[in-house]
Amino acid sequence: MSNPVKTVKVTVDNQVIEAPEGATLLQAMLDAGLDIPHYCYHPKLSIDGSCRLCQVKIDGMPKLQISCNTQVRDGMVVHVADPEVEMTRKGVLELLLLNHPLDCPICDKAGECWLQNFSMRFGARHARTIDTRRKRGKRLDIGEQILLDQERCILCRRCVRFCREISKSNELFIFGNGDQSVLDIYDQRLDNDYSMNVADVCPVGALETKDFHHRMRVWFLEDTASVCPSCSNGCNIMISSARGKIWRLTPRRNDAVNDTWMCDAGRLNYKFVGDPARLRAPMVAGEGGPAEAGWDEALKRAAGAIADFVKRNGARTLGAIASPHLTNEENFRFGEMLRAIGAGRIAMAVPRGRQDDLLIKAEKAANARGVRELGLVSGEDDGLEAMLRACEADEIRGLYVCGGDLLEIGQKERVDAILGKLDLLIVQDLTMRPRHGRAAVTLPATTFAEKEGTFTNHAGRVQRIGRAIATPPGWRTDGEIFTALMNELSDRTEQFELAAVWAAMTRDGSRFAGVAFDSIGPEGAPVAGA
Amino acid sequence: MATFSSANPWIAILKGLWVSIRHFFGNLGLFLRGRQDFAIHFPEQRLVQPPALRGMPVLAQMADGKERCVACGLCEWACPTSCITIYPAETADEVERYPEIFDIDMSRCMFCGLCEEACPEEAIIMSRQIEIASYSRRGSLWHKADLLVPVNQLKTRTDYLRRNYER
Repeated sequence: MSNPVKTVKVTVDNQVIEAPEGATLLQAMLDAGLDIPHYCYHPKLSIDGSCRLCQVKIDGMPKLQISCNTQVRDGMVVHVADPEVEMTRKGVLELLLLNHPLDCPICDKAGECWLQNFSMRFGARHARTIDTRRKRGKRLDIGEQILLDQERCILCRRCVRFCREISKSNELFIFGNGDQSVLDIYDQRLDNDYSMNVADVCPVGALETKDFHHRMRVWFLEDTASVCPSCSNGCNIMISSARGKIWRLTPRRNDAVNDTWMCDAGRLNYKFVGDPARLRAPMVAGEGGPAEAGWDEALKRAAGAIADFVKRNGARTLGAIASPHLTNEENFRFGEMLRAIGAGRIAMAVPRGRQDDLLIKAEKAANARGVRELGLVSGEDDGLEAMLRACEADEIRGLYVCGGDLLEIGQKERVDAILGKLDLLIVQDLTMRPRHGRAAVTLPATTFAEKEGTFTNHAGRVQRIGRAIATPPGWRTDGEIFTALMNELSDRTEQFELAAVWAAMTRDGSRFAGVAFDSIGPEGAPVAGA
Repeated sequence: MATFSSANPWIAILKGLWVSIRHFFGNLGLFLRGRQDFAIHFPEQRLVQPPALRGMPVLAQMADGKERCVACGLCEWACPTSCITIYPAETADEVERYPEIFDIDMSRCMFCGLCEEACPEEAIIMSRQIEIASYSRRGSLWHKADLLVPVNQLKTRTDYLRRNYER
């Protein structure tokens, strides 16, 4: 590094830990793997010092200090396993639990609640109070996505700081003093693009998302590390699934991409995975319209239709629309397949929308940059206008369309007219759309949650996605479809195996060259030139 | 543990066999006095069951006809045979939450009572009902409506629980 940060040594309970100068003592201890309870401290928010739980004993200081607001100093001697520290924690937790409603059985945070965890580990076993507990507002509808339970709140003010510092919308405040303090909204409801993050930062169940309210217990959820598919920012996420279904998406920390946040639109965009309208089997054109067919039969029909078309019209009149929703590996195989056929033209349709300065990007697809880096498409609009013109001029008479994005680029009538007059249409999409009725074969696509692979985000960072949901037996993922068609239409006999595809993809001259598949860790890896 | 391992092994064996020995000599006495039939003729005759009996788990129904269960999912988690399936939902009541679906697969249930022990609401209780055979597998799948039993009919068991588990 050009600007080396000086490290200092701190002794914690006879263990020497190192930390960069200027770091807080709490962060240094957490980084060293020490188990220090804390509520109000959040690495991406300013320091508040309101929960008083992270207090430690430091030699030379008259009283216990909150470690979250103490900078490390060389030679500092800290005591954590100390009767005084333990007694203080017990006292702080007792105060926090004084008016806590203990409605864990109906609280969605139960199981991942910091108050539960720390009380069980560091708190007293039983309450000593006999007074009735304070009554406060419960289930308050304070925003489009968020419910507030004031009884559960422990006044750590993480959410207040989030709204002030990250979303910069200032909706939440603490009102009142002392034991009359209460969290509430004032003049505006909690409606911003990032409002659901307050439920993540809330260490207890005071703020809950309506989307996950009373739906599934967290201890049944299985977490799969993945990447949000909703825009080109590529926020790192955890897919929480159980019983073959996704129940929620939560942000996963990646300081190079999304810190610890994600937008509400991305967080709620998982329901299409379990959509009952999704294609469950390939559809093959028949006399009475499209009918379900087996995978092998449909792939044979598709290959036959393409071979027929090429024989009649020549391969140059076949065009293809690549999908920015598919992974790098799948798009690479798509390109290989098109080269094997000798297709004339490739373009890509990218749905666009609103963007902001924080996380939300205009391109509403995860892997548009990946398709460009692979060299499949070029030009300002990824060759789309030229493709549409070529179709209208009958230079392109057959199209292989991946995804339904063509119908979402704001040129519906024009695209409708083009799809209506093509000689050959093969579609790969999640659902059957009206225009797909003309397709010779419609192949079911696979969502981001049902396969493995990599996405390249807007800044050129390659990140892995993970499989959280199993596909039905016999199912072919997009990459396997391309591979099967390529094998049918040429003399190649390939398998769709991620590491092998990645190896072929990163051969010399590729923009991905130099990135080993195994080097893509949980936080991704930048591609060359990015 | 100490009573078994540290004592004289012969005494330990005698202790273990004490119930059998008692029944043997008791029945021998009855036999010598002329009794011929020692079987219990179920279903015409039934044993008197002790209060600790764990029959099939049922859901406590409150006076207003609603279940006491709040669908917290702890029984589902505690169940070693995964025979409980719960889907929670929201209600306007003060408790906020109720089980929209509460199914127990009695063909998998092994009557261990861990669900009852895990329950924070005394909502799932091992009843005295043990005659639950059915003619089909589907008949062994009990839904919420079938499982609801008024609380006052479960008094034997709840009294026993409160006495023995410091509730």
